[in-house]
Amino acid sequence: MDAARGGGPAEAGVHISDLRKSYREGGRTHAVLAGASARIASGERIAVLGPSGSGKSTLLNLISGIDLPDSGSVSVAGTELTALTERERTLFRRRRVGFVFQFFNLLPTLTVWENLLLPLELTGRTGSAGHARAASLLERVGLPDRAHAFPDRLSGGEQQRVAIARALIHEPALLLADEPTGNLDEDMGAAVADLLDELVRTQGSTLLVVTHSLDLAARMDRVLHLDHGRLLERPQ
Amino acid sequence: MSLLTRASTRYLWRHRAQLVLSVVGVALGVAVVLAIDLATESARQGFRVSAETVSGRATHRITGDAGFLDETVLTGLRVDLGLRASAPVVEGFAASNRLPGMALRVLGVDPFSEGPFRPFVAGGAAGFAADGAAGVDIGSFVTTPRGVVMAARTAESAGVGPGDSLPVLVEGVRWSLPVVGVLEPTERLTREGLAGILLMDIAGAQELLGASGRLSHIDLLLPESGAGTERLRLIEAALPPGASVAPVGTRAEAMAGMIDAFELNLTALSLLALIFGTFLIYNAVTFSVVQRRDLFGRLRTMGVSRSELLGLVLREAAWIGLAGAAIGLGLGVVLARGLVRLVTRTINDLYFTVAVEGVALDPVLLAKAGALGLGATLLAALPPALEAARAEPRLTTLRSVFEESARRLVPRAALVGIVFMVVGGAFLGFSSRSLPASFTALFFVVSGLALLTPAGTVLLVRASRPLLRSGGGLVGVMAGRGILTSLGRTAPAVAALVVAVSVTVGLGVMIQSFRGSVVRWLDGTLRADIYVSLPGPRTSLATGTLDPEIVASFVAHSGVVAHSTYRAVDLLEAVGGYRLVALQLDPRGESAFDFQGGDADEIMARFQAGEGILASEPFAFRRELAPGDELTVPTPAGPTSVPILGVFRDYGSDQGTVMMSRRLYDRYFEDPEITSLALFLSPGSQSEVVVDELLALVPAGRTVIARSNDTLREASLEVFDRTFEVTVVLRMLAFIVAFVGVLSALMALELERSRELGVMRAWGLTPGELRRLVLTQTGLLGLVSGVLAVPVGVVLSVVMIHFVNRRSFGWTLEMQLGPEVLVQAVALALVGALLAGVYPAWRMSRTAPALALRGE
Repeated sequence: MDAARGGGPAEAGVHISDLRKSYREGGRTHAVLAGASARIASGERIAVLGPSGSGKSTLLNLISGIDLPDSGSVSVAGTELTALTERERTLFRRRRVGFVFQFFNLLPTLTVWENLLLPLELTGRTGSAGHARAASLLERVGLPDRAHAFPDRLSGGEQQRVAIARALIHEPALLLADEPTGNLDEDMGAAVADLLDELVRTQGSTLLVVTHSLDLAARMDRVLHLDHGRLLERPQ
Repeated sequence: MSLLTRASTRYLWRHRAQLVLSVVGVALGVAVVLAIDLATESARQGFRVSAETVSGRATHRITGDAGFLDETVLTGLRVDLGLRASAPVVEGFAASNRLPGMALRVLGVDPFSEGPFRPFVAGGAAGFAADGAAGVDIGSFVTTPRGVVMAARTAESAGVGPGDSLPVLVEGVRWSLPVVGVLEPTERLTREGLAGILLMDIAGAQELLGASGRLSHIDLLLPESGAGTERLRLIEAALPPGASVAPVGTRAEAMAGMIDAFELNLTALSLLALIFGTFLIYNAVTFSVVQRRDLFGRLRTMGVSRSELLGLVLREAAWIGLAGAAIGLGLGVVLARGLVRLVTRTINDLYFTVAVEGVALDPVLLAKAGALGLGATLLAALPPALEAARAEPRLTTLRSVFEESARRLVPRAALVGIVFMVVGGAFLGFSSRSLPASFTALFFVVSGLALLTPAGTVLLVRASRPLLRSGGGLVGVMAGRGILTSLGRTAPAVAALVVAVSVTVGLGVMIQSFRGSVVRWLDGTLRADIYVSLPGPRTSLATGTLDPEIVASFVAHSGVVAHSTYRAVDLLEAVGGYRLVALQLDPRGESAFDFQGGDADEIMARFQAGEGILASEPFAFRRELAPGDELTVPTPAGPTSVPILGVFRDYGSDQGTVMMSRRLYDRYFEDPEITSLALFLSPGSQSEVVVDELLALVPAGRTVIARSNDTLREASLEVFDRTFEVTVVLRMLAFIVAFVGVLSALMALELERSRELGVMRAWGLTPGELRRLVLTQTGLLGLVSGVLAVPVGVVLSVVMIHFVNRRSFGWTLEMQLGPEVLVQAVALALVGALLAGVYPAWRMSRTAPALALRGE
C-alpha cells in the first residue's frame, strides 16, 4: 500500500508527492528516491524505517528544504518548499522546522542555556516569554541545574535531552529526528524517546523520526518503510 | 551580543594561540608599512620644511645654472630695474663635532634686505626683534665677524649659548663661530625648519664658504598680478647668460623628486610585509572556517542564512584586523623612529642633505596604514568567508568534500598561475621604463608562482614517496599522504612559506649581485694610488674646493709621479639633478672607464681632445641618451650643446654623472678650482706611508681626507652596505611576518589533526612515533617549500635586477648566483617548518588518547 493514501488534511501536515532524487557516483547515477509519496497529518507521529543507504537522510534533507528533489513536490504546513528560493527555504526552516540529530550537534562554544535560546534568537523571540519557555523546557528535560554548562561537560543522554529541547523551543510545525536514540544505550534511549514523545504530544508538532530502532518506531502513530526509493506502509 | 557572535567569540578565545598569531601578523605588516611611510615622509617633510623656512615668503629665485651667481647680478637688478624686494643668499654646509652626524646648513643673508622675506630674520627696523628672537641684536649680528644666530634647540644640543663659540669644519677648514643669539620661533614649522641652520651675515658666510663675490641665489618677491608677470619678464631679459629665474618651489620639487625611486622601492618592500601578513590572515581564517565546517553546516540546517555566516566570519576578521592595525600603528611609530635614521642617512649619503629631528606623526599616513591593514585582513578573509557561506546544510557533513574540492582546484590554480605569469611578463615587456609597471609585474609573477605551488607540492611529495617509505616506514608514508589528503590546508601554508623564502632569496641574490657589480666597478675605476678630497656632508660624493696650495704641495711630493684632478659641480634641472665633473685625466687613469659600447681608445682620445662628454649609465638611461646624441649643458655663458662620446658604467650616483675634460670645462666655466685629486705613486712607494707624509703637509686649522686606494674602496663599500641596511632590515621584518604565518599555519594544521592523531594513539602508535609523524610532515612541508622557493626566488631576482632596479636607478647589474643563498633558503624553510612542528608534536605525544579523541 502506498503511504500517500493514509493521513489527514495535507495543508496542515506534510505532503510529499512522487519525490525522485539520484546522485552521481563515479560516473554512475544512483537513484536514492524513486517516486516517494506520503501524506502526514498535522500532529501525527511517523517513523521511517529502512536499511542503511535506503535514502532516509536524503528524505529528511528534502522534507526540511535543505536539498531539492530532481522532481516531485514537498509541502510542509501548507508551504510548497520546492517553489521557494534557497533563502526562503532557509528562513522557513528557521521558523517552522526543528531538528534532532544522532550526534546531538549542540554548539560547543555556547552553554546549554545559550544553545536553547539560539532558535528563539534566530526567529526574534528572545523576550521574557522566550526565557520563561527555555527555563520550563530545561525543567521538563530534567536539566535545570546544567543551564550554564558547556555541552562537552554533559553525558550523551543529557546532550540529546538538550538537543530535543532546543529543537522544540521555537514551537516548530515539524520536528525531524535522525536516529535520535542511535547513539545512546537502551535505557537512555528509552528515556529520550519518552521525552520526545511527551513534548511533541504536548506541543502538537508533527514528528518524523528516521530510525533503525523498532522500539522507537513502535511508539509512533504510523511506521513507513523506505524501500527501493519508495515509501510504503508495509515492507514488501 | 547575539548568540552567534558569542559562539564565534568563544571559538576565537578557545583558539587564542591562532588568534594571537593572526593579530601579530596584521600588526607586523601594518607596522612595517607605517614605519617606512613615516620615515620617508619625515625625511621629505624635514627637507620641505627646511626649504620653505629658508625660502621664507620669496616667490621667485634667481639661480646660476652652474650653481652660483656673481654678486654683480644683484647690483644690476637693483640699479637698473629698481628691484627693491630682492635678497641675496649664500648657502653651504658645515659640520661640527658638537653635533655629530648632523649636517649644518650655513645660510648667509643680508639682514637689511630681509624685511619682506624671512620673518625669523627680520621683523622690521628692529631686525631680530620679531618672533621669539630673544636678545639678538642686529648690530652685533652684522659687526661680529662670522657671528652666527641659530635655533635655540640646535644650540642646546650643541651645548652652546649666546657668547659661546661653535667649532665647525667647512670644506676642510676649522672655524670657531661666535654665537651672537638664539632664535625660539613660536611657530612649530618654523622651529623645525630652523633646526640645523646657522644664520650668518652674508659677508661672513662668503668668507666661511670660500665664495667671495659669489651668491648662491637671489630671492625675489613678485606680486601675483599682471604687474608681477611683467616684472618677471623684465628680470629675465636683464639676467646675464647662465642665470635664470624660476618660482621658488621648482628647485625644491626637483630635489625632492630625486628620492622618488628610492622611496618607491622601500614602499614596495614594506607592502611585501603586509602581503605576508595578509597570507597569514588568509591561513588563520581558512583554518577557523575549516575547523567549523560541521558547525556551520549545523547552523545552516537550523535556518542560519548564507549571508549571516558570511557576515559572522567577516566580522571575526574585522576584529582581528582592527586589533592588529591598532597594535601595528603603535609598533610602526616605534619602528619608524629607528628607520628614520637609516633612511635619512641613505638620503644624506646619496641624494641631498637633510636634517630630521624626529618622526612626524602624519594622521593621513596613520589612517592609511590602519585602513590598509583592515582592508587586507577583510580581503584575505573573503575567500574563506565565502567558503563558510557555501557550507551545505547537511545532517552529517563530510570533511572529505572540502578536501576533494581543494584537490580539484590544484590544476585550476596552476592554470591561473601561468596566466598571472604571462600577464606579469606582458607588463615587463609592455613598458620598458615604467617602474610601477615593473612592480605590478613583480606582483603578478609572485602571485602566479604562489598559485603554482600546490601543483609543485603534489609533484614533489609524490616524488618523495619512495624515499619516505624506505626512510620512515609506515610513519613516513602516512606523513606524505597526510599532506596530500589535507591539501586544502597544507597548500596555502606551503605557498606562504615559498613566497616568504623566495623573497629572501630574491633580495639576497639582488644584493649579492649589486655588491659584486660595485666591487668589480670599484676595482676597475680606482686606478690611482691615493685619493684626496674634503670632508663633506655627503659621504659618497666629494664636495667643496681643495686649497690650491695643498694641491701644489701634494703634487710636488717626491713619491707622486702623476695626478688627475676632478672638479665637481652639482647641477639641478627640472627633470632631475646630475653631477658635472671636469676631469684632468692622467693617461694612467684612462682605463678606469668601462664603456657600454664603442671603441674605448677612440672615445678617450676624443674626450681628452675636448670633443665631447661622457655620460654615466643612469644619466643616459634616465634621459634616454646614447652616444652621438647632444646634451645641453648650462654654462655661465649660457646653454651649450655638447656631443656624448660614450656611456660608462657608474654606480657612484643614481642621479647621473657627466664627465667633461678639463680643457672643455675651462672653455665655458671660469672656475679653476679642484674638488678632489687622484695621485699616482712611483713604483715601490707605499700608499699608507705617503698618505701620512701628505697629511703632515696640511697647514694647521685645515683638514683634508687622503685615502689609499684600498681605504677608499672599503669606505665606498661601507656606504654601499649602509645603503642596503634598510633593505636588509625590511627583508628581515618581512621574513619574520612570513615565519609567524607559517608557524601558525603549520601549528594549526597539526593541532587540528589532534583527533586523528588521538585515534592513531589509540591504535597503538607510540608517543615517539607520533612525534616523528608530526615532525616528518612539517619537515617535509618545509623541505618542499624550500626547494620550490629556490627557482621562484631566482625568477624574482631576475625581475628585480633587470627590471625594477634598472628602472629605478638606471644601473645594469650582473647577476651573481652564489650557492650559499640557495642553501640558506632551503635550510631556512626546513628549520622554520620543523620548529613549527615541535609544539604540536610535543603536545600530541603527551596528550592521553582518550582526551584527544574527545576533542571539542
